Amino acid sequence: MSWLQNLPIRKKLTVVILVTCATVLLMASTALAAYELFDFRRTLVRDTTVLADIIGKTTRAALAFEDETAAKEILHALQSEPNIVAARLYDRKGKTFAEYTGSTAYIPIPADPEEIGARFASGRLIVLRPIMLNERRVGTIYIQIDLAGIYTRLWFFSGVAFLVLAGSLVVAFFLSARLQRPISRPLLKLAATAQMIAEHKDYSVRAAREGGSETGVLTDAFNEVLTGIQERETALQSEIAERQLAESRVKAQLARVAQLHQITRATGERQDLKSIFQVVVRSLEDHLPVDFGCMCLYDEIDHALMVNSVGLNSKGLALELALTENTHIPIDKNGLARCVGGELVYEPDIEAVAFPFPQRLARGGLRALVAAPLLVENKVFGVLIVARRQKESFSSGECEFLKQLSEHVALAAHQAQLYGALQQAYDDLRQSQQAILQQERLRALGQMASGIAHDINNAISPVTLYTESLLDTEPDLSPRARDYLGTIQRAMDDVAQTVSRMREFYRHRETQLSLYPLNLNRLVSQVVNLTRVRWSDMPLQNGVVIDMHSELAEELPAILGVESEIREALTNLVFNAVDAMPEGGTLTVRTLVADPAPAVSDSQSPFPGAVVVEVTDTGVGMDEDTRRRCLEPFFTTKGERGTGLGLAMVYGTVRRHNADIEIDSSPGQGSTFRLLFPLPSAPLQEEMVITPAPAMGRLRLLVIDDDPLILKSLSDILTAEGHDVVTVPGGQAGIDAFNDALTHAQPFAIVITDLGMPYVDGRKVAAAIKAASLNTPVVLLTGWGERMAAEGDVPEHVDRVLSKPPKLGELRAAFFELLVPPPPTP
Amino acid sequence: MIQAGLGAVHALTDSEKRAHPFVSWFAAAVLLLALVCAPASAQPPAREYQVKAVFLFNFLQFVEWPKDAFDNPRAPVRIGVLGEDPFGAALDAAVRGETIDHRPLVVRRSNRIEDLEDCHMLFVGGDLRHRLEGVLSRLSSQPILTVSEIDGFARHGGVIAFYQDGKKVRFEINIAAARHHRLKLSSELLSLGRVIGTDALTEGGPDT
Repeated sequence: MSWLQNLPIRKKLTVVILVTCATVLLMASTALAAYELFDFRRTLVRDTTVLADIIGKTTRAALAFEDETAAKEILHALQSEPNIVAARLYDRKGKTFAEYTGSTAYIPIPADPEEIGARFASGRLIVLRPIMLNERRVGTIYIQIDLAGIYTRLWFFSGVAFLVLAGSLVVAFFLSARLQRPISRPLLKLAATAQMIAEHKDYSVRAAREGGSETGVLTDAFNEVLTGIQERETALQSEIAERQLAESRVKAQLARVAQLHQITRATGERQDLKSIFQVVVRSLEDHLPVDFGCMCLYDEIDHALMVNSVGLNSKGLALELALTENTHIPIDKNGLARCVGGELVYEPDIEAVAFPFPQRLARGGLRALVAAPLLVENKVFGVLIVARRQKESFSSGECEFLKQLSEHVALAAHQAQLYGALQQAYDDLRQSQQAILQQERLRALGQMASGIAHDINNAISPVTLYTESLLDTEPDLSPRARDYLGTIQRAMDDVAQTVSRMREFYRHRETQLSLYPLNLNRLVSQVVNLTRVRWSDMPLQNGVVIDMHSELAEELPAILGVESEIREALTNLVFNAVDAMPEGGTLTVRTLVADPAPAVSDSQSPFPGAVVVEVTDTGVGMDEDTRRRCLEPFFTTKGERGTGLGLAMVYGTVRRHNADIEIDSSPGQGSTFRLLFPLPSAPLQEEMVITPAPAMGRLRLLVIDDDPLILKSLSDILTAEGHDVVTVPGGQAGIDAFNDALTHAQPFAIVITDLGMPYVDGRKVAAAIKAASLNTPVVLLTGWGERMAAEGDVPEHVDRVLSKPPKLGELRAAFFELLVPPPPTP
Repeated sequence: MIQAGLGAVHALTDSEKRAHPFVSWFAAAVLLLALVCAPASAQPPAREYQVKAVFLFNFLQFVEWPKDAFDNPRAPVRIGVLGEDPFGAALDAAVRGETIDHRPLVVRRSNRIEDLEDCHMLFVGGDLRHRLEGVLSRLSSQPILTVSEIDGFARHGGVIAFYQDGKKVRFEINIAAARHHRLKLSSELLSLGRVIGTDALTEGGPDT
């Protein structure tokens, strides 16, 4: 029945009606035909039986009286019925009594009567009836009926019935075609409506209602369903739209988050501000994207922005707008000011903004601008500026993104700064550590050297004292003796100098320099002589020849300075020059006067003019890096041999003398170190003349020292000077002696005491002396003397510190100063 | 072969069908032989009188008597043979065991008319040819069916008279005489016999 399912409803209804009609009609007519057939046969049997009985009745007399003729006549009457093809009478004995045969063929008639009854056989009805007379059977009648004609009639009847059936179906077809409309039309309309809706997805269509029965109800229900669908569809559409919007937002957000992540990671990989900014701007240009992007740093003092980084694609535009790197942008009262105040500023259309900076960007064809502040700890240190040609083209999401990005960038930049500071601090720390290590080493060395120097000073003190005394006080000395003593004195001076230089390791400079006029030419000569061993003797041992040239300017003006320091500085320079020439070469020391308008160098020397000393070698020279760093403390190219302090000392000296240093050098071309000392404003005497202190007359002196040799030599010398000298070999003994003298009214004019003594040292002695007699000067004599002076450690109660080995002149000067003017205020 | 087989089956069924009639036919033949042979052995009556005896009996079946002809419904139908009896045993044989409307049949023979006046049917023997008038007059208006083989018996007032038509026995009926005797004769009987006395019938039409 599936073909039926697929038929359109009109045809379906027609088919249903027709099939129903046909089936009913067919069943009815079949039943009718069957009944007809059955009834016909029954009737035929009955009629024939009746006929047979009638014939029997009419022939029984003939049978009874054996009148065959009469019987024949009666039988003959059957010819009026053409269906009766044969009839026969049998007598009571079963013999054929009379017979009738019709025109048509008949089947053979049995010779003897068969069983009474009716039967159908071979298209014939055969009826046999007994013939009774007064309850006696007098014979039998046999009738044979040909059914062909009857069946023909039956077939004809069937044909007519079929035609009637066909006609009925035709009528039914037309009737059904008309009558089905009330059913099919609303359904078809509904179907058409439904199809239209399915095709156009237009749920606002409604089916027209027809009739009030089930189809009407169906239409109403359909329309209601449509209304429901339409409502849901509308709701669904709006929901989908919302979701799509949300999804696109989420996608954009995700993309931005990814970009943010990417930028953050990229910035995290960089540590310097410039490259961080560059990465950010490039990324924004490529991915946000923007038409123009730059990063500016905020200069709080100038209240201006400085362009730090411009994106690669923005460079052209930046040139056009004069916004290249390092351009200053003054901050106007508009957006930039708000931005610098920490706000994200979005100008949807900068053409409408009358301030200079937006107008400047607008001239470049840009319309929408976002300026995001780079905030670190609530301080704006920079601004991120992005712009697009399309006005109002930054969405709120993008603004938010830029805000977040600026925060990240600010953090990254801040971290970069912190990292830089940390790196710097770390470097400094390492250098400090190095310096401290070095200092510790030097300190140990210095302490050792200092101890040695102390001992040597003590040891040579008598030699110096006696030599000086001899040369001074013995006019009768032979020239040879005088020469020898002079040599001894110089040698002792050299020893003292060597020892003092040894102490230099540990010595610190006096903060307050006492500057004296001095002649550089003389100093240079001294240095050349003093360093002879290094530039002549030691190289020669290795077969290396160094030519030393001194080119000294005539009439060189004096300068103010500390002789020993400058000498030391020049010595260091000479040593360095020698070290720079391991293969030998020429070493030139030159003095000259620089012009007031300095042509010597490009240095912006503030001096009106300068006295210059140059040390030039033809050695290996320095590269730029070395040249730049060579003045740093502990920087050395000499490995373990060097301390890295030589040039640093030189630099310190130069700075202290308010002088300048210039270094010309290039690798393989040798080096020139040039010291420029300022010309003093007023012409100076070349050198203060040290007038020998006059003899003080007889003084009562107390000398305290634990070294008997020094004690003896001092006693000898001072006694020879004409003083009354009491020597005491220890601190406590000295104090006792002083007090003893006080009580005996024989006070000492001056007390000279050693510093380092067992049990009671020089300081305690000084304190005790001052406690007993405040006005008695105390001279401290020490092998540590210079160190103490350097440390500013002039002990309390001490009036003067003198170094060992003591010099007669110094002693005389000290006595003079302490006693001749009224005692100086402490 | 198949045809032959089918034919054999048909033959078989035919013979079976015929078996029954054949048996009955055979039995009828035997019976007929017995019937024919039995009288012949005693006193074989002429074929003619056998037929006439049966005819006599048959006449009884087509005739209706007035009610007063019988004393009661079970009263026998009396058949009288007046004078010479030509039937011998044939008449007795013909009526033996038979009934007419549940009435038994009785045959009386006599030469005297007086003995036979209460009979319902009276066969008048040929020997009374000359005394016919007297007999008939004596029986007038009596409900008696008179039968005879005397020529002109019907024309002379008898009801049914046998006559010979070739070999066949035929009869003529005087319906006027029948009416006279208050007898109703069946039309079947009338259609077989030669009917006379119709004038009287038409004459007497208004009377009935």
